[in-house]
Amino acid sequence: MAGGPNCVEALALLQDYLKQELTPELEDKITTHLKKCRHCFTHLQFERGFLEMLERKAKGQCCPDRLRERILAEIRNPSEA
Amino acid sequence: MTDPAPDRTAFEAEVLPQLDSLYRLALRLTTDPSRAEDLVQDTVLKAFRSWQRFQPGTNIRSWLFTILRNTFINDYRRRQREPIPMDLEAVEPHAAFKAAQDEDPEGTFFSQIVDAKVLDAIDALPEEFREVLVLSDIENLSYAEIAEVLGIPVGTVKSRLFRARRQLQEVLYDHAVEMGYIRARDRAPAKQ
Repeated sequence: MAGGPNCVEALALLQDYLKQELTPELEDKITTHLKKCRHCFTHLQFERGFLEMLERKAKGQCCPDRLRERILAEIRNPSEA
Repeated sequence: MTDPAPDRTAFEAEVLPQLDSLYRLALRLTTDPSRAEDLVQDTVLKAFRSWQRFQPGTNIRSWLFTILRNTFINDYRRRQREPIPMDLEAVEPHAAFKAAQDEDPEGTFFSQIVDAKVLDAIDALPEEFREVLVLSDIENLSYAEIAEVLGIPVGTVKSRLFRARRQLQEVLYDHAVEMGYIRARDRAPAKQ
């Protein structure tokens, strides 16, 4: 593709790019475009900031110890649990 | 009958590290901590009983998420009114970015929002958007893995994920404006 993808194409593929679901060739093309295009790069940073926030906040929640113990008891001593 | 201990050891080694992920998905599906705990316990016991059907080397997370989701649909899903989805056709693509790009192009305002508000906003998404978002953006499953867990085409996964993120960004942007984390973009004056 001469000149690489334009902004419309780059933004259309941004979600797949962030999920690392593009072919290596297409990923390289988008990376090249993002290095040259401030607008698309800013957009990438915005989406990254959103996704990092989402993962960080949601992963604060963990399986409670009492549930872990309940499950272990069921598996290890099914007749006693 | 052979001693089940070796099976149990392998089961524990594979499944126990996934309890946090299972609990997080259960929380988002049930939106209730107590029901989420019961759902995780039921899921793990079902997985234990059918452990011989799990093929070593295949994806344990997809297998467990599938059992959890099926259990949720069959035994836990309440007959409740689904949240009304935002009319996304009326929202221009990337609206939150366009609104924030001058003042906060890196979206740092997202981090100022308290965790509970973000989780509430996820829970308010329609279930079909919510489950895709959780599996993709919190548990990091690939499109193909999500398609397998949910039994839908990859193209549907992609479009639901796009819509889920768009709706969530809109809701969180509006909340950030309301809380003063970011100034509202100038809007065109209302027509007389």
